[in-house]
Amino acid sequence: MAKEKIQFEVNGKNVFLEVDPDELLIDVLRDHLGLKGTKAGCRAGECGACSVILNGRVVTSCLIPVMKADGGKITTVEGLEKDGELDPLQKAFVEKGAIQCGFCTPGMLLSAKNLLDQNPQPSIEEIKVAVSGVLCRCTGYQKIIHAIHSASKTIPGNEV
Amino acid sequence: MEKEKRKKKVLIKEKVLGMPPVMEELSTVGKSTVRVDAYAKVRGKLQYGGDIDYPGALHGKVLRSPHPHALIKKIDTEKAKSLPGVVAVLTAKDIPGRNGFGAIIPDQPVLCGDKARYIGDGIAMAAAISEDIAIQALELIEVEYEPLPAVFSPIEAMKPDAPQIHEKGNLLTTGKIRKGDTDKGFKEADVILERTYTVPILEHAYIEPDVVIAIPHPDGTITVKGPMQAPFTVRRNIAPVLGIPINKVQCVQTPLGGGFGGKEDSPIDIGARAAVLAWKTGRPVRMEYDREEITLSTCKRHPMIITCKIGAKKDGTFVALEGTIYNEQGAYASLGPVIPPAGGVHAHAVVMLPGPYVIPNVKVDGYLVYTNHPYGGAMRGFGAPQVNFVHESIIDELANLLKMDPYQLRLKNCFELGSETATGQVLDQSVGLKDTLEKARSEFHWNEKWKPAPGLKEVENADKRRGVGMAIGWYRTSIGTFGDGCGVNLHLQEDGSVLIFQGLTEMGQGSYTVLSQIAAEALGVNIEDVRVVAPDTDAAPESGPTVGSRSTTLMGNAILIATEPIKKSLIESASELLAIPMERLVLKNRRIYDRDDPSRFVDLKEAARRCMATGRRMMGQGWYAPPRPSLNPETGPGSPYFVYTYSTQMAEVEVDVKTGAVDVLNLVATFDIGKAINPIMVEGQIEGGVMMGLGYALMEEVVMKDGMIQNLNLQDYIIPTALDTPEIKPIYLEYLNVHGPFGAKGIGEMPNIPAAPAITNAIANAVGARIYDLPAHCERVYMAIKKRLAEGT
Repeated sequence: MAKEKIQFEVNGKNVFLEVDPDELLIDVLRDHLGLKGTKAGCRAGECGACSVILNGRVVTSCLIPVMKADGGKITTVEGLEKDGELDPLQKAFVEKGAIQCGFCTPGMLLSAKNLLDQNPQPSIEEIKVAVSGVLCRCTGYQKIIHAIHSASKTIPGNEV
Repeated sequence: MEKEKRKKKVLIKEKVLGMPPVMEELSTVGKSTVRVDAYAKVRGKLQYGGDIDYPGALHGKVLRSPHPHALIKKIDTEKAKSLPGVVAVLTAKDIPGRNGFGAIIPDQPVLCGDKARYIGDGIAMAAAISEDIAIQALELIEVEYEPLPAVFSPIEAMKPDAPQIHEKGNLLTTGKIRKGDTDKGFKEADVILERTYTVPILEHAYIEPDVVIAIPHPDGTITVKGPMQAPFTVRRNIAPVLGIPINKVQCVQTPLGGGFGGKEDSPIDIGARAAVLAWKTGRPVRMEYDREEITLSTCKRHPMIITCKIGAKKDGTFVALEGTIYNEQGAYASLGPVIPPAGGVHAHAVVMLPGPYVIPNVKVDGYLVYTNHPYGGAMRGFGAPQVNFVHESIIDELANLLKMDPYQLRLKNCFELGSETATGQVLDQSVGLKDTLEKARSEFHWNEKWKPAPGLKEVENADKRRGVGMAIGWYRTSIGTFGDGCGVNLHLQEDGSVLIFQGLTEMGQGSYTVLSQIAAEALGVNIEDVRVVAPDTDAAPESGPTVGSRSTTLMGNAILIATEPIKKSLIESASELLAIPMERLVLKNRRIYDRDDPSRFVDLKEAARRCMATGRRMMGQGWYAPPRPSLNPETGPGSPYFVYTYSTQMAEVEVDVKTGAVDVLNLVATFDIGKAINPIMVEGQIEGGVMMGLGYALMEEVVMKDGMIQNLNLQDYIIPTALDTPEIKPIYLEYLNVHGPFGAKGIGEMPNIPAAPAITNAIANAVGARIYDLPAHCERVYMAIKKRLAEGT
């Protein structure tokens, strides 16, 4: 298959690549760009471990043909940290015991990040809805939900 | 009385391994320290097995049987072999050594030679330069099958004319308990209840797929890397399959993205197959099972059909219990069979069926039977969730019959210190069950919330009804058979940091953190000073498998033992540096100081350096095995496990009477866990286990049709999401275990066990209709309500 040129922004950096147009975004992120934080759990868009933020929406990157990301803006788990400083969500996940095996953690963090970007003061119910596309078999979700809620309180203007 | 109790507690505390003198404060143990792997995980930097690039590795794929039971007449691999990019296509005849593996009995072929026994059985495999080419190669393999009659039920499979799946017959193993005389017991009973229950096949649904890389080396050794719960079990299987000694196989564990018992078994399967491909091609081979292949081919939670009969006096005193378990093993033995005295899912299910109750007359018979379904293995609770659903359901219904509060009925009959179990084991320490009941009652406000199930009219006229339910349970720590020993090597470094080489795996439960805390506490260093090296069978001593909620307790003890010689070296060195007698020196907070005058101290780092300079011993070895189990598999009496964790769970549900949909509103889960080494991680185990139990109660089931799984991926096999999470209140009590490090017992599996019956009992309390078959999905609940309304009872 003829290679296609593609350009997008990943974690604030412009990327130019030649790809097979039938490649999936997850494989381009993992195999071409070495961003292995994005995980493949089911390759059917069900487990949400491969969730990334694409143009302000959370998508399951295992279902996205890479050409759909052309010209787009992507955030993966590796992009949450800014200048060596963890995102408040990452800190909250660490402190509130929201991590067990860690395989769903990137997808959870990105779903939560996108929620807080759009709704800085979500209710518990809104948090549940926002992360319901990511399956976690370890934690039972409660500590994840609490961590996200607690992180939302650290956003400037949200402090209680 | 109270005083005596307190005295007893103190006495026990003094005997507990690792526990400092009563008044002294612990520094690290008992604190919610951050997981040692938390930062790597939250930054997406932790390298899981599937994240390892191995340039030049071949890709292996397995061709699987489409038939549940069929003779293999002919396999033609010529076309597949001639496909460009294909390096090897192998069948049964190419297996270098024993063509069989299995966690207990090697009855599962690496590749089937004569016949296939379930849909998904391995028939042939290919290695190619890309995964796509390997898949194409499988499509070119021609197999001629002769389908045989298949059998899909344990009861059918036990009939004499049933199709025979293995040469020795379909009945794989039995299991018994005999205590007292149940005939006599039932004669004394005022109320007798007999019921039959079924529980479904469950999929572990760990989110990380199975993957391995097998690397053959020129010196005749081989390395197999991947997520594994039991690297030593994997190694023990790969060696005979390749026909080489165990010491030539190195298994290296990568971080597990969930296991729940499934990755005790599946890495044997994928590991042995990848190893054979690597051995035959002489090249590294990467093999990954995709989600549907995992569901199709790897082990499951055992489905069971269980009949239970219970008899009680009018006042609620239990007098007799009988049970019959038809336990469906599926095509291969995996972790099902009884390994005397008490290993194997089946043995555990038999022992656990009478529940944590004092019952004078007990008779249990269990049959573990091969069928042509996917095979059952270990899954969080190891046979206990199945039987716990049974005893907690029947006791709840019995309470109804006796017009008793189910709380009071349980409290009246459940274990306490000194109770004798159905197998005659006297529980002589660490039995906090009654307090878990009491604590749950007050936290849940049971007395205010519970009232008897509603009458017919109340259900008929309602849209939604609320109800509460409860269940209690017990669970072992340890595996109750050979292979329960745990080895560790502890290495003090010259800067005072510590390395731990051991073989139990981190699968999300937090074992590296807890083991680091135990080592840090004993050596007086900080948790950051300790590093647990990922299990590598070339470097770690035999540790047994990471199962049976055994890691904290057994490996924790081994670590405490291993710290002793190191502590001795450090104290000798410090004694020289400080000119203070050794017996006055204490290790704490990275210092070694004078007990009588804490202002006099030396940094532990200095003492470590002196150990190095003076040639003092800087390593410690630890080996711990729990007190030997005893159980007579013929008659039942004995002590199968050396200590148990106990739990009470109470749930409030809302049932939509018109649709049968169930919403769990809140749940209180209390535990006696001995000692919480890391409280926040204990809570994590509780919440996660409860939610897995909620899945068992309400939604999870591997649906079978003619031997084929109907829900292979996660859009059809439904597990709980965040939207299903009720408010869970995790609570633990600490009845110190004298055989545990700082008093600890296991917590990994217990939370998963009473959750399901607590929820189904709440459904019965809400609508007066009882669920006998899991899961209680809305159709089933709807039909149960409809049946009750139709029968008018």
